[in-house]
Amino acid sequence: MKNAAMTESLIPPETMNLVGQRLAEPVTVRIDAREAQRYACAVGDLNPVYFDEEAALSAGYRTLAVPPTFVSHAPVAPRPMEELRPDGLYQGSDRLRLRVDRIMFGGEEWDFLEPVCVGDDITSEVRLAALDEKTGSKGPFVRTVRETTYTNQDDVVVARSRQIGIAR
Amino acid sequence: MSATQPQLTVGDVSVGDDLPIMAKNASRAQLFLYSSASFNPHRIHYDRDYARFEGHADVLVHGPLQGAWLTQFVTDWCGPRGRLTGVTWQNRASALPEVDLEFHGRVTAVDSSTGEVSLEVWEQTSAGEILMPGMATVRLPQ
Repeated sequence: MKNAAMTESLIPPETMNLVGQRLAEPVTVRIDAREAQRYACAVGDLNPVYFDEEAALSAGYRTLAVPPTFVSHAPVAPRPMEELRPDGLYQGSDRLRLRVDRIMFGGEEWDFLEPVCVGDDITSEVRLAALDEKTGSKGPFVRTVRETTYTNQDDVVVARSRQIGIAR
Repeated sequence: MSATQPQLTVGDVSVGDDLPIMAKNASRAQLFLYSSASFNPHRIHYDRDYARFEGHADVLVHGPLQGAWLTQFVTDWCGPRGRLTGVTWQNRASALPEVDLEFHGRVTAVDSSTGEVSLEVWEQTSAGEILMPGMATVRLPQ
């Protein structure tokens, strides 16, 4: 006997149309030394190439480098805390309007094509690469793949990431 | 400072080599700092009652923080003139604060003509539970 609740998808039909589409307008930010160094300290990664220009130059960078994954945090928009949901995430962070309560970070796939250095202007553009519903040991869940392309001031793609989200 | 950083070359590595283990243990203060530095207000990282309400044992170490540790693990190994060219990871099980974590890695391929080296990498607890399997590629100087 089929459970009626099992037949309703966690993905609204109109959301499937977003696959392949841009999820937000592109954002351009300048890579800031202090911000990148605060991030490196929060990670506990005190590599001299992030803190000491001489070390960065002798390692072959144009100037201070930044931790590889910092590029995904630099473009995060400042938003008023009145826009927080009860789980602490920002409203509208789920443009996908999935019928879920919990969102977890499932993993990430990165290509680092060119170094990102302090002073670079990085444009980030995010698309919904894939969306599918699966059933795991804890019941049905949605796997989302957000693909972000990072391009520098010389129109060179410096990095690509595919971020996996698990929503249930 | 830079002169003291050891540099690995592609000739130094062979398939099957193990990377030196990197140990991590996130304090609650580190989770707070990482939330702050990444402007991430998700409650599961700082509110234990809320984390339990969602079914977790405690507040959770951020998935991207563990990913950043993985990049640190590899870039520390490959030295300042090595370049991390790719990394993938799956956050398979939750990592908790104040728990001893270990990063392990093994060389799976070496191309001595290009300097490209492939690695199998993973994060585990000191008891051996794999939390985050992954792969990485680096380019080492000749």
